[in-house]
Amino acid sequence: MNNENTGWKLAAAFVITFIFISPIIWMVLAAFKTINDIYAIPPVWVPDFSYLENFKLLLSENWQFLLNSTIVTLCATLLCLIFALPAAFALVYFQFRRQDFLADWILSTRMMPPIAAAVPLYMVFNGMGMLDTLPTLVLVYAGFNLPFAVWVAMSFFRNIPKEIIEAARVEGCTWVQTFRLVALPLAKSGIATVSTFVFIFAWNELLLSLFLTTREAKTFPVVISSFSTVTKTYWELISAATIIQILPPVIFTILMQKHIVSGLTMGAVKN
Amino acid sequence: MVATFNIPFTKAVPSDSERAIKLLFIVPAVVYLLLLSVFPFIYSVYLSLFDAKLTRMDRKWFVGLENYQNLLADPLFLKAIQNTAVLTLSSIILEIVFGFLCAKVFLSLREMRTGQVLRSLAILPMMITPICVGLMFSYILNPTLGIANHLLSEIGVQGPSWFGHPWIALPTVIFINAWQWTPFMMLLMLAGLVSVPSSQYEAAELEGAKWHHVARWIEIPAIRDVILIGVILRVIDNLKLFDLVYVTTRGGPGDATELVTFFAYRQDFRFFQVGYGSAAAVIILLLSIVVTTVAVAYLRKAQR
Repeated sequence: MNNENTGWKLAAAFVITFIFISPIIWMVLAAFKTINDIYAIPPVWVPDFSYLENFKLLLSENWQFLLNSTIVTLCATLLCLIFALPAAFALVYFQFRRQDFLADWILSTRMMPPIAAAVPLYMVFNGMGMLDTLPTLVLVYAGFNLPFAVWVAMSFFRNIPKEIIEAARVEGCTWVQTFRLVALPLAKSGIATVSTFVFIFAWNELLLSLFLTTREAKTFPVVISSFSTVTKTYWELISAATIIQILPPVIFTILMQKHIVSGLTMGAVKN
Repeated sequence: MVATFNIPFTKAVPSDSERAIKLLFIVPAVVYLLLLSVFPFIYSVYLSLFDAKLTRMDRKWFVGLENYQNLLADPLFLKAIQNTAVLTLSSIILEIVFGFLCAKVFLSLREMRTGQVLRSLAILPMMITPICVGLMFSYILNPTLGIANHLLSEIGVQGPSWFGHPWIALPTVIFINAWQWTPFMMLLMLAGLVSVPSSQYEAAELEGAKWHHVARWIEIPAIRDVILIGVILRVIDNLKLFDLVYVTTRGGPGDATELVTFFAYRQDFRFFQVGYGSAAAVIILLLSIVVTTVAVAYLRKAQR
């Protein structure tokens, strides 16, 4: 390819990248602006980055909900893995009847719209007096991410050479030992990928938390959405909160970009 | 070698305790899923046959299919279905077209460091919290303080009220949705395009093929499967789309951006009409099952 052509392609790549990151950057800049600067016309392009009042105001009143989000997301990820990893291992290495059907059924529950489970979940947790508690969110978030985790973990277990698993069995390992001492260590990077995905999905979740929480157990996304009301929109809080909220997904996307496609397509497309 | 020799041996003696241990691997996950998704789905179907209020669940009346009859005669629900269909179709078309163009650009720059860095930045939108994406664009497209209309006024164009005008609100939501998910399509197509052997491009060049010949006969056949997987996943996600309209338009103005999931949510948790809302949810569920059946077959085929 000649140089001139590459030059155009590079220019196009810069334009594309600008389209996809400029809205994010504009929001990040707003977080460092005073309310007057946010409403200023013509706009203030570069704010004073030492102005941190928006963050202070946000966190002084809402640090508890950020903590909720962190606790719920971490616990849900852990719980999800505890159930998903053995199941994925079994679906790959054990022979039993209707195995493919079971795997397909698990995957199909991932595709179901959460709204179709909303009212029954609300009623059950209301009946148990567990609305607006963190354990409820942990249970629900882990459950909704379970199909995804099983299916992606299966694709990682499948990459372990079958001979290694068989050798462990020959050496006299029980299935539990084979799973814990052989399969899990070999699938370590895969497990890291699954857990970060589950973490991000749970971290980004809004709908379930919206009707399962009211005050105490609210997650950060619910709080952010409440900054935009019919009468007033608190842009200074929204922009500061957005930065905090999108930080984990952004870091994740940059670190794990090799696995994003195979993760989001549940192992169907590899790159 | 030893391993293959040993398989018949382990298979020959499946003791009861081994069977129990094997079940222990899979049963907890299955039970969890039954309790947390299958049971609620079935219960929703049951509820959809009742006239029920969320605030008074002890008193509900069996009404048979009346909720469904009312839904199919409810202009707002029909509008929600229409909007969801328009949103799904047009945002996926946008994602495929722009995703393909972006993929072509980054494909030719993939050996270059700058190209790689730019690509990792360009894919940021797709994992970002959807409500943050919605609020980001509410800020940018705000009629009074937004940067978009300010820049338009600099070149003498009066920017519209992006979320407030009944004809523009839905296209705006579609545009935001496409903005967030084009990078996903791009990555999918890149994964497909990388597999095209360079000899095919060289042969095409020797034959004097134009770029659209190359696209039509070499590239599109090579990425047909990944596009299909992408489309199926996007259809499923768009049927569930909620967060974006919840923070931007709340279904408005009027019914301009009412979507099915948002409709069901409001019936359930704003008007407490859970029988009616559940019926709407069941219809969404049925639509999802159709797509899901295709999706599962395809994902299984591709993963093997």
